[in-house]
Amino acid sequence: MPMPSSARPPVLVIAEQRAGSLNPVTWETVAAAQVIGGPISVALAGAGLAGAATELASADVSEVLVVEDPALERYTPDGFIAALAQVIERERPGLVLFPHTYQTRDYAPALASRLGRVLIPDCVGATARDGGLVLLRPMFQGKFVAEVAPAGDGPHCVSFQIGAWRADAAARGGAAATRAVPVTIDAAAIRQRPEEPFQEAKQAVDLTQAERIVAVGRGIKGQEHLPLAQELARSLGAELAASRPICDSGWLPMDRQIGSSGQTVSPKLYVALGISGAIQHLVGMKGARTIVAVNKDADAPIFEVADYGIVGDLFEVVPALVAALGE
Amino acid sequence: MKIAVCIKQVVTRDWPVRIDESAAWVRDGDASFEMNEPDAYALEEGLRLKERHGGEVVVCSAGPARVAQVIREALARGADRAIHVESEDLATADAGVVAEALASAVREESFDLVLTGLQSDDQGFGETGVILAERLGLPHATIIMEIAADGDGAGRIRVKRELEGGWFQWITLPTPALLTIQSGINQLRYATLRGIMAAKRKDVRTVPFASPPPSAWNIVALRVPVKDKQTRFVDGPPEAAAAELVRLLRDEARAL
Amino acid sequence: MLVVGGGPAGLAAAYRLATRHRTVGGEPPVVAVLEKSREPGAHMLSGAVLDPSALADLMPDWQSRGAPVAVPVTEDRIYFLTERRRIPFPITPPPLRNHGNYVISLNRLVRWLAEQVEAAGVDLFAGFAGAELLYEGDRVVGVRTGDRGVDREGNRKAAFEPGVDIRARVTVLADGVRGNLTKTLVERFGLDDGRLPQVYAVGIKELWEVPSGRLPAGAVIHTMGYPLPHEQFGGGFLYALPDGALSVGFVAGLDYRDPGFDPHTAFQRFKRHPLVADLLAGGEMVRYGAKALPEGGWHAVPRCHVDGALIVGDAAGFLNSMRLKGIHLAMQSGMAAADAALEAVRANDASAERLAQYAALVESGPIRRELHPVRNVHQAFAGGLLPGLLYSGLSLVTGGWWIRDPMPAHAGHTRLRRVAGGEPAAAAVPVDRRLTFDKLTNVHYSGTRHDEDQPSHLLVQDTDICRTRCREEYGNPCTRFCPAAVYEMVDAEAGGQRLQINASNCVHCKTCDIMDPYQIIDWVPPEGGGGPRYEGM
Repeated sequence: MPMPSSARPPVLVIAEQRAGSLNPVTWETVAAAQVIGGPISVALAGAGLAGAATELASADVSEVLVVEDPALERYTPDGFIAALAQVIERERPGLVLFPHTYQTRDYAPALASRLGRVLIPDCVGATARDGGLVLLRPMFQGKFVAEVAPAGDGPHCVSFQIGAWRADAAARGGAAATRAVPVTIDAAAIRQRPEEPFQEAKQAVDLTQAERIVAVGRGIKGQEHLPLAQELARSLGAELAASRPICDSGWLPMDRQIGSSGQTVSPKLYVALGISGAIQHLVGMKGARTIVAVNKDADAPIFEVADYGIVGDLFEVVPALVAALGE
Repeated sequence: MKIAVCIKQVVTRDWPVRIDESAAWVRDGDASFEMNEPDAYALEEGLRLKERHGGEVVVCSAGPARVAQVIREALARGADRAIHVESEDLATADAGVVAEALASAVREESFDLVLTGLQSDDQGFGETGVILAERLGLPHATIIMEIAADGDGAGRIRVKRELEGGWFQWITLPTPALLTIQSGINQLRYATLRGIMAAKRKDVRTVPFASPPPSAWNIVALRVPVKDKQTRFVDGPPEAAAAELVRLLRDEARAL
Repeated sequence: MLVVGGGPAGLAAAYRLATRHRTVGGEPPVVAVLEKSREPGAHMLSGAVLDPSALADLMPDWQSRGAPVAVPVTEDRIYFLTERRRIPFPITPPPLRNHGNYVISLNRLVRWLAEQVEAAGVDLFAGFAGAELLYEGDRVVGVRTGDRGVDREGNRKAAFEPGVDIRARVTVLADGVRGNLTKTLVERFGLDDGRLPQVYAVGIKELWEVPSGRLPAGAVIHTMGYPLPHEQFGGGFLYALPDGALSVGFVAGLDYRDPGFDPHTAFQRFKRHPLVADLLAGGEMVRYGAKALPEGGWHAVPRCHVDGALIVGDAAGFLNSMRLKGIHLAMQSGMAAADAALEAVRANDASAERLAQYAALVESGPIRRELHPVRNVHQAFAGGLLPGLLYSGLSLVTGGWWIRDPMPAHAGHTRLRRVAGGEPAAAAVPVDRRLTFDKLTNVHYSGTRHDEDQPSHLLVQDTDICRTRCREEYGNPCTRFCPAAVYEMVDAEAGGQRLQINASNCVHCKTCDIMDPYQIIDWVPPEGGGGPRYEGM
């Protein structure tokens, strides 16, 4: 629901690209801006941006600001802070929105600080209150949601958690104007020297970064049944995890344990198989965006946090799920 | 190498914290506290760098009197001395205020390296370190998974930064610099009896936080997240239920 | 001087050792305290109503030093409960009169006491458990702390830190009820020969916050009767603190006969009684914990001095079960031990003969004065509530001498009845997670945490007994008497059942070590720092 027009300062969305291709999470931030309302500009910084700028211009926004500079070809915090600080100072938006990516985490707090502001990071929602903007952000590892009201003068800087808004909800308007915004960057003043990114087999499973997780509990009965859950995880592109009894029994290594004394996760999708939902487990996963529970016991506490539930035998349900996903 | 490590005291990770009467903060009067976990890794990394290059590790913490607990722990693990920027208001302060408090402590001394944890377990801003770098005018790099052993310890440092999706990147930056450290970068050591004894004689400088900047925002309410919809039970024989669930996950939840 | 255990007894001993020279002159000794919890006080659980006499003896200016002892008892009530009703006792028996006492949080008191002790120059090492005693011949010469950084299979992890030998001229064992070091010392020297076996109870407590106006701060309520049958020792308590904080607890004797009995279930039943449920309605449970307590009294106290070591506090069994109080006696014993130890060290003679002065101080001091007249109370309760009540009433009049003295008693676990095959009927209590809780949920509220990757600290010598004999004879009572869901019988891959030990749930109450009918469970300290966090308890 858009906010009353009196509360609509100009909004600047900071798009993200790598090697000229747009990071699709940018659309989530565009969607957020459209919900918040107000004239929207999208700024795209880097080098060789023509393709990404064209793609962005299909959004229902006022204009796309293209910030091209050879010094921005490879991301560095110094370069991006220098460039975007100039853009924001020139454009004077009331609100600057970022997708809360690793890159945003790397430079946006310093950028805000250079503008005399503090980034309100990792928000999951925004709502209008008393003519102003109130942001929602998780605190205490997702145990609470805080309502945060920016204080002082704009521009207020806000980053939104990935997945908090739906990319496909971003309205496309056809053709936003594209405008080049010149910036001056002293390449010699960029202090970080980045090397080529590389991929590496992870030394340890980092469930906190997993998008989808299939977790097994006691209902799996024996180690010999784990391949069943593994197959479902493969079909979903998910990591396999477990509640404590499974790791205690040594059926899965301890770095796969979710809950207090294990990991706290908030994936997009969490599928709990045969997990009753002891509080020790719930505190580790109830921040997941969508929770599916499969359990024989309709009274199991896991269903209190689940979005979707199947009351049934996981040994029947899981193969059926694998089959359904294969179609 | 003169290293500052910024540490925060947070409510113990699995403590059942509750919302206080103001409904804008938690009741921390009777809570259990501990060192913020990523900060413990930052401290350990600082101690290892000192062991490699020599020098000094100074822990800095900004918070109310109770943070003496984690300062003492850091000294027991091997930090050489500590600076405590003390103010009751820092317990609930925003990242900008905390960064300014830390900057006031760190600025006076010329450190080669300032280390912080990646983020805190309580407010979870993940930005205090980056803001601190900006306030100190230092180059920074975040989410550091490794500090190269081949660095010369003076002038330049080469660090491995974590990117999304299993990607990494090496970055070289001049010192003095600030790094935010990812949990798991190293193996934490235990405080020893000898370390605890030695900690008692180490210098802890307590400085007041005289002129805090205004807050950048106000927490107007804190609440327990409520599930916005009822659990949707998918009934029927397994094949039908599975097919329906997959459909819901794809079309309704958009989780696939 | 080394004190093992940073509870009221150990800290009183340490404080006395560090400050005694102020009155008797001479050089202050070097004193260290080892405490297994992460922070002083974290493993402290008690009701608690404090008789401040010992604190005043230890530290006459305790009030001006800001001791967290500020809520005087304002009223005493005792009820006999039936399933639905309450019958008030017309008068409060003198031992349960709490005029002049205080409702406290033992966790807070101990945390404060630890600060005083450190300020007095004592080295307090929290997060270090005493793993074993060091001997030279038969003389105790100190303690070895536990290894840290050992994985589940016993391999050294990268951060491995071996245990350290701490040598001391006198070691004061203040390792609490059923202390692991005291247990080995008593066994090695037969210190309990000729004494009655210690009998224990387990206390389970929740801290609640209830709407204002339920009970005035300082109100103390004790109950007898429901939900326990007449022949069982135990009862409930409710102690009111300021700001709507309410301690709710239940004590059950660990000498019950029905192997199907579950103290945690009894506690849930107690909370469902209208007396309690009405007080808790609309409130919130904020903390949970459990701890065993020694109930055997005077005749069950072992010899507490050997060459180089003394035993104090709950480890020795200094608790007045008649008054339901032990904190002050623990502190008195700590002080007496400190005085004896200091003189021994100054005389350069820490032999048992010399340290026997501790026994003399106990005999001539407030401990005997308080414990001896009530020495037979708990044994009398072994015959059931009514004889117990009768006896406890009479013993006040008679001084306790008129019944056979000492009374015969048996270790509690020997009284368990065999169930001859079948499962004992474990009557369930509905769990609504508002008033009543399952054990696992409760454990969450104890703040218990252990490094998961470490060997189990609950050593079961022979787990075959669990699935064979014990299952047949007692229906695996460990799955019930443990208030933290540590023990579970789960289906084994090969059919039948096997024992699963969820060691990281353990709240260090020691009930298993005490109550296991085969005495094959050995509680040893886990890696230092692990265990509950009883803030405010």
